[in-house]
Amino acid sequence: MNQLDISTRDTATGPVLEIRGELDYDSAGELRAAVSATEPAAGQVVVLDLGGLTFCDSSGIATFIAARSHALAVGAGIALASVPAHTARVLDVIGLTQVLTVYPDVESATVAHRHDA
Amino acid sequence: MSRTERDRRTADRTSASATQERGDGAGGATPPSADAAFTALLEDSAEELYERAPCGYLSTLMDGTVARINGTLLDWLGMTREEVVSRKSFTDLLTVGGRLYYETHVSPLLRLRGEVNGVAMELRQPDGRLPVLVSATVKKGGDGQPLLIRITLFDARDRRAYEAELLRGKLAAEQARVRAEEDRTRLQSALAVLQRSLLPTELPRVPGMEVAAHYHAASRDQLGGDFYDLFPVDGSRWAFFLGDVCGKGPEAAAVTSLVRYTLRAAALHDPTPEAALTTLNTVLHERYTSSDPRYCTAVFGLLRPLPGEGGFEVELASGGHPPALVARRGGEVEALSTPGGLLVGVLPTAGFATARTVLYPGDTVLLHTDGLTEARTGADRALYGDAALRSFTRDQAPTSAPALVDALTDLLHGFGDGLGDDTAVLALGVPAHEADTATAPSPSSRIRRDLRATTGENNQ
Repeated sequence: MNQLDISTRDTATGPVLEIRGELDYDSAGELRAAVSATEPAAGQVVVLDLGGLTFCDSSGIATFIAARSHALAVGAGIALASVPAHTARVLDVIGLTQVLTVYPDVESATVAHRHDA
Repeated sequence: MSRTERDRRTADRTSASATQERGDGAGGATPPSADAAFTALLEDSAEELYERAPCGYLSTLMDGTVARINGTLLDWLGMTREEVVSRKSFTDLLTVGGRLYYETHVSPLLRLRGEVNGVAMELRQPDGRLPVLVSATVKKGGDGQPLLIRITLFDARDRRAYEAELLRGKLAAEQARVRAEEDRTRLQSALAVLQRSLLPTELPRVPGMEVAAHYHAASRDQLGGDFYDLFPVDGSRWAFFLGDVCGKGPEAAAVTSLVRYTLRAAALHDPTPEAALTTLNTVLHERYTSSDPRYCTAVFGLLRPLPGEGGFEVELASGGHPPALVARRGGEVEALSTPGGLLVGVLPTAGFATARTVLYPGDTVLLHTDGLTEARTGADRALYGDAALRSFTRDQAPTSAPALVDALTDLLHGFGDGLGDDTAVLALGVPAHEADTATAPSPSSRIRRDLRATTGENNQ
């Protein structure tokens, strides 16, 4: 079974979580916990790097929204980077691209944020 | 005095007397040599061995009358030699069951083969019974005629206790297995009841329409979060919805129940699709805070019969749900796109886009949850996908709601274990001709059949 692997690093613009593997009902709790463990400052952005995501179901999508709430609660922003095509299509269908900003990669997410800030 | 010492002294006395008996026979009073004493310690005499052996010995005539018996066996029986020899038959020493078994099985086998080995029987004792293992051989004379039966009996109490322990263990394991199986069955039937409470037991009859639905439960042990419903909102209009709660299990089922009744209640106040979804959004967002956020995708629709044309106007709104498909009579398949409709419950206020179409005779609108399009198919486990679903729907033309749901049910079965998530499909169609309505199964019978099909899957 393909497991979920999450590594978090702090950058000048805020925490970047690199997410690899399958994000589903069984593993969504891990990402939720990893996101809760980050402490973004107001004005920073939490970036979820989904480049290594091989599967994402509705439970996984729900964790993106939880991440958004976590970031917004402290006045930080949220961004998704390197979203796989299938997940991008799902995000589009469920309308989440309206509330979660999507960038082609981590670099452009952080650069865009610096410009915003 | 220790037991070992006592045994040794007894052995010494015995060997002394044995030496004396032998001395009588050998005619010598010479003191026993060291070798002789050692031999005597090892084994006193054949007679002593026979008498005090750690097993019972018995010889009977061919009719079973006891001719000779050793002391060990007499001790077991609690009888004297005089009471037994020439007076008792071997079978007299056995319990009733043992006697029957000896006469019907052991005795014939002895006559046939001349020996039996390790037969389990029970001896009668003054205060109970003693399990023994019996072996017997027939002694023959020089002319080959059977003379007597030699029988050896071993105390089988330990073995019987061990076997009883094994049996008890086996029984306990079996009872535990049965209990676990019963618990599992109880849980599954409770889950099945709950799951059914999330769905209508039957779809209502909508005059001028055919409706059908199918629910595929991916797991017997896990409640799914898909839902659908169809109900009248006033004298002429009908509302329907279908959706999917994020996650699964009891928490998702609780949300599913909340969603279903919220939408039904909302439709009583204002049945327009956008209003119903907005109410649901408010309820979900307020009820489930950020610590345990719960969302759902849903399509909510309203049906209004068009006077005189035999058609229905369909107005629907979607909150983050895959578009409904319309299968036209001529084979075209359209997606009822509702761009911008957001997953329900995420934002405190959310806008929902509305789409409209008209169903004419022969047209069917199909709603599905993404379990269908997310199914893994083929050797490479590729996603089934939206394009394949559209193409499949196109291939069914001309079709009807029941026929389309039947075809999709077969398709879902064909996915096998590639279908990892619960899947719901709901189809609403206007019959091509009035005659079709007359011959088609009634809507209520349709839904019962589909639910039975789902239950059938669950029992596999």
